[in-house]
Amino acid sequence: MPIKTILCIEDDRFIGEMYVRSLKKAGYEVDWVVDGNDGLITARNKQYDAILLDVMLPERRGTEILDALRGGKEDLIPKTHVIVLTNFQQDDESRIAMQKHADAYLIKAEITPKKLISVIEKLEDK
Amino acid sequence: MEVKKVPRLASQFWPEFIRIKIRLIVLTQIAIAFVFGIILIFTASITDSLVLIWFISFLLLPVELIVGILFIISATRPTKDLLAAIIKVTGEQPTLPLPNPNSTKNEQTGFRDALQTIYELSASRDQEKTETSQTDSIVSNALDMTNCGFIALDKNRKIIYSNKTAPTRDSTDGGKEIDLIFNGNDTLNAWLDACAEDSVQDEHVWTRIPDHLPNEEGRRFFDVIASYHKDSASETVLTLIDRTGAYEVDEENLDFISFAAHELRGPITVIKGYLDVLEDELADKLTDDQPELFHRLVVSSNRLSGYIDNILNTSRYDRRHLKMNLSEDTVVAIYDTISDDMKLRAGAQNRLLTVALPDDLPTIAADRASIGEVLGNLIDNAIKYSNEGGVIRVTAKVNGDFVDISIADNGIGMPENVVSQLFQKFYRSHRSRETVAGSGIGLYISKAIVESHGGKISVRSEDGHGSTFTVSLPIYATVADKLKAGDNSNEGLINEGNGWIKNHSMYRS
Repeated sequence: MPIKTILCIEDDRFIGEMYVRSLKKAGYEVDWVVDGNDGLITARNKQYDAILLDVMLPERRGTEILDALRGGKEDLIPKTHVIVLTNFQQDDESRIAMQKHADAYLIKAEITPKKLISVIEKLEDK
Repeated sequence: MEVKKVPRLASQFWPEFIRIKIRLIVLTQIAIAFVFGIILIFTASITDSLVLIWFISFLLLPVELIVGILFIISATRPTKDLLAAIIKVTGEQPTLPLPNPNSTKNEQTGFRDALQTIYELSASRDQEKTETSQTDSIVSNALDMTNCGFIALDKNRKIIYSNKTAPTRDSTDGGKEIDLIFNGNDTLNAWLDACAEDSVQDEHVWTRIPDHLPNEEGRRFFDVIASYHKDSASETVLTLIDRTGAYEVDEENLDFISFAAHELRGPITVIKGYLDVLEDELADKLTDDQPELFHRLVVSSNRLSGYIDNILNTSRYDRRHLKMNLSEDTVVAIYDTISDDMKLRAGAQNRLLTVALPDDLPTIAADRASIGEVLGNLIDNAIKYSNEGGVIRVTAKVNGDFVDISIADNGIGMPENVVSQLFQKFYRSHRSRETVAGSGIGLYISKAIVESHGGKISVRSEDGHGSTFTVSLPIYATVADKLKAGDNSNEGLINEGNGWIKNHSMYRS
């Protein structure tokens, strides 16, 4: 399934801008929100093909957002790919809990915009 | 039925002996009286005074009995006294009254000297015993007062002695066991296994060994010195020096470092990200030496990122949080992930990097990102410790159940005393302190990562002529069963650096 629309939930302005700039250049439609509450509301109000989710977010952590969207009985975003992007070394327990509901779990420092786009393309192919 | 003979004590001898002898005298006297009576009857010498004869006989018998018994008691008295004295010397519970050597009788008869000799023997023996137990308790009290732990193990590795400071806990079989958490494969048991096989006498030192996991209360750190003497009563003696004070500072530093490393990753993300983006966008616009300068930016940001990974992994390793996701991989594919970066790094420092990795090597069990980090560290070192124009060769070959990956340089090399300490944390040789920048954790974490794979890292070096580091990793086929049995949580995932992407063909089929 092709990915066209992407929601980026990222509080670091420089990193957010960098991803948004590259993704837009690559032809994706990107919405960007900077806090966890807005992130959850936006994700529930509009259907995206992919969500880039940071972990250490203000207001509401990425773990809580993912849990709210996919932790219940019903998957609220069944058609959306979730890519967790973090620089924070989570403890194994929280990481494994997030991995269960995510399609990718990546370390931001290792993922340049070019690599991010190639990951998104890989998810499209599957 | 088998009758078990219980060894009897010296104190049990006398009552038995005297009982038999008295019984013998009584029976003998009765027998003599009986025989005497019969003879009188048959010789017909019994006359009217029969009654008188019987009366005399019966009156005499008890008298004879009493005299006989008194005689035997008196005759055996010296024997009894000697036995009582000897029983005292043996240390058994005395059942006989102790004879007084200074009694008038003993003095007169000269028996005193015999008793005196035995008592002196006993006194000197008691004194010896008291001295030994006094020395024992002085030593054991003194050891309990020290800050060092002492543990002695017998040949079955059971604790036969431990002082108060020694880190031990109660074991399930009611004994004690050593309460230490060794790093990776370098454990006390592994060393003892090696000793049992090929040593008569050996010594080994471990540093920074904690007794508890991080965040557990009262965590202590020890430097552990083990001495092994095959077949001696205390086959292994451990001396544990409590270095908590010194290492705790390091632990706090690591906490800080770990936190700082997370913070550093933010700016690095942006620097690396935009360099990657701009490399394409500025490709046609850079002139003269600008592309080279741009490369230096890329190389530097990648190196910085690598160092931060080293620091984070060291912090995770020291907290026992470093976990490897091993999967089937090839040396070529792993090297590919760092190839461009290494080429850039070598080029920027005017080193020639030659990589000759055969395509037909068997697959290995590896955590791609971690082994990439190890090879990156080793190549980085080869660059650091070689000279301008130096050659760095990366090769690989099969060696038994392992694939050996070697990184060789013809640089400054190392003397032997440096080689032995090379893989210790924060170790920096005197020479490298002065001339080369570094933190001294690259090789430490590399060793930890390789050992977590069930592999080995080794080094061969000649002072002034270069070094060769070799990483041996298990061939996948030799460990595949073990990995599958271990419920490999990595199954169905594609590794991407330190993260992963779900392999959807497996995940949502």
